[in-house]
Amino acid sequence: MADEQKPEGPVAPKPAAAKPAAAAHAAPPKPPAVMVTTPWESDIVQLLKDHFGDDITEFSTYLGQNFLVAKPDAAIAILDTLKLELDFDYLVDITAVDYPKRAKRFDLVYILYSFARNERIRVKTMIPDGYMPATAVTVHLAANWLEREVFDMFGIQFAGHPDMRRILLPEEWQGYPLRKEYGILQQDDAWVRENLGIESGQ
Amino acid sequence: MPEATFLDATELVINMGPQHPSTHGVLRVILKLDGEKVNGTECVIGYLHRGVEKIGENRTYQQFAPYVDRMDYVAAVSNGLGYCLAVEKLLNVEAPPRAQAVRVILTELNRIASHLLWLGTHALDIGAITPVFYCLREREEVLKIFENYCGARLTTHAFRIGGLLYETYDGFEEEVRKFCDWFIPKVDEYEELLTNNRIWVGRLKGVGILSADECKEYGVTGPVLRAAGVQWDLRKAQPYSGYEQYEFDIPTGENGDTYDRYTVRMEEMRQSTRIVRQAVERIPTGPIMGKVPKVVKPPVGEAYVSIEAPKGELGYFIVSDNSTQPYRLRVRPPSFVNLQALDCMVRGGLVADVVAIIGTLDIVLGEVDR
Amino acid sequence: MIANLFRKVFLVDLFQGLWVTFRNQDPKRIYTEQYPAERPKVGERYRGAPRLNINPDNGETLCISCNLCALACPENLIVVTSQRNEQTKRKDLTTFTYDTSRCMFCGLCEDACPVDALELTQDFELASYTREGAIWDRQMLEEGPKPTQYKC
Repeated sequence: MADEQKPEGPVAPKPAAAKPAAAAHAAPPKPPAVMVTTPWESDIVQLLKDHFGDDITEFSTYLGQNFLVAKPDAAIAILDTLKLELDFDYLVDITAVDYPKRAKRFDLVYILYSFARNERIRVKTMIPDGYMPATAVTVHLAANWLEREVFDMFGIQFAGHPDMRRILLPEEWQGYPLRKEYGILQQDDAWVRENLGIESGQ
Repeated sequence: MPEATFLDATELVINMGPQHPSTHGVLRVILKLDGEKVNGTECVIGYLHRGVEKIGENRTYQQFAPYVDRMDYVAAVSNGLGYCLAVEKLLNVEAPPRAQAVRVILTELNRIASHLLWLGTHALDIGAITPVFYCLREREEVLKIFENYCGARLTTHAFRIGGLLYETYDGFEEEVRKFCDWFIPKVDEYEELLTNNRIWVGRLKGVGILSADECKEYGVTGPVLRAAGVQWDLRKAQPYSGYEQYEFDIPTGENGDTYDRYTVRMEEMRQSTRIVRQAVERIPTGPIMGKVPKVVKPPVGEAYVSIEAPKGELGYFIVSDNSTQPYRLRVRPPSFVNLQALDCMVRGGLVADVVAIIGTLDIVLGEVDR
Repeated sequence: MIANLFRKVFLVDLFQGLWVTFRNQDPKRIYTEQYPAERPKVGERYRGAPRLNINPDNGETLCISCNLCALACPENLIVVTSQRNEQTKRKDLTTFTYDTSRCMFCGLCEDACPVDALELTQDFELASYTREGAIWDRQMLEEGPKPTQYKC
């Protein structure tokens, strides 16, 4: 069901299905599209450039939302600077995105908001599988459960976290569901059989 | 070392299990008690985890909209609004003004319904059994309006990407106006029942204090933050869907205790009625659906859009890779982040206060667990 | 001061609340719908039991087997099979399976149908005694659920 597109109309489903197949064979594969961003200029950018220089590789804006891409080691220092010097005192969210074909597989995203400036900012870092980023709990207490959820769903362990264990799934669950290789109907059959006493009903 | 007898003060660990009438869903709280005083808690969640984010990666954008209602099932219309706004941001379209006005009306009615349910269940947990009947009676009227508009009471699926699907039905403005006029005296009735009642005040004042700094540290938003004195509301700070046209106040509290959260939410119900009254007077005419293609394929990119849901800041972070299905759909649930603050609020209180504090945080487990 | 003491000793605030309760005991203010004696009138757009509509003139089904409803469904629970009619060069519907046990009554199938053949009606009494009874075939969809009516 994932690859089917809606037909153009009830009248002629067959010609529409034949055309894309022919076109895919004829044309060479296009490079994967990337996000069309515009560079971001502001006093925040200047201050961060002065502090961190090379550690931040990109300052961009997409659809009016500013974000910066940083090296993973510098992420916590950046969060600290943003909190102490630039008033970004509210950690909105920590999440991750899985790009399995990249060497640096995960995109760890921190979303921050400043009450004083009424601005939101995203800090993104790219980390490979097995890397343990430093925890943000020292900077924002809200990171506690948010990082536990990232660990639960992706398997990214945070170094220095006071309580690094699963939060939504049972503790003995094997597998990290939001990774792309985890199937949509897949479950930890051993856990289900042991604890629920049933065979998985899918 | 002499053996400890049962008279020694040891820490008692009690389980407030997932099946409990006062935990507002399947929430397990492990309490560490010293007699009646609470030393610490630990929340175990995940009993209602349905993998909504993973489902989002396997459904098209339009197909995912019904799943969104089922997260915060009490305020389904708000969830739908947040999701539609996020996808519209990615597509760079805006809903036409008529659609925006009707969206505001339905979302504010939903805020009233959510706060009514909160008040009823919170009072019920504390022991006041009467308000829940009246609150649910008022909620029936709101749900009737939803049912007449989109066909379902709770899991509404009212909005579509780009605007609305259904035109307002005949008599929509009339019914909404009648509801507003009928509803305001009812809020006064609840205040009569509860606000000055010595039992209510005694159980709520000074309980579960969360100061403004602690709120910001824990990332707590919504009425909990406003009760701590911070006058911040996403509808005023970063308006969406035409909220800048309406006049309303942001109620705040002083102490950040449970009683303040109660007054803040009661006042929010009144302010929501005010917004609905203004909006229903001037619904513009025009189309109800923006220019959205039939097959929704946003360009490669990501966006984070958040709205002021009745529980706090509800955010959607959608990453798209130019296909019909989102690449990553993250929901930032207000109840999940608010629930983290439970441990901080409960220390030093009594066991009965734990129930009051869980109630006052206004959590919905569907949203906490997704 | 004295007023406060009076209020405190004579439980004035508690009686104020109790008066609200007693006021609502008036039989005119009973709000409960006595179901099943009075069945609630649900809204016109209510999303209830699905129904396959039939052309009233000639008794044939309106469905043209375009499969749009099956593609729109988030749960993929509609299965439409058809066979090609050589005379009219159109498709004739043979079977139409709808699994109400997994349906979330979102209405996406109803919105997708181009000829208004599939419609979600105002029937909300869809219970069945078996799991298989919840999977509706074409006949069940055209006639609708027939719950047993009890007289009280």
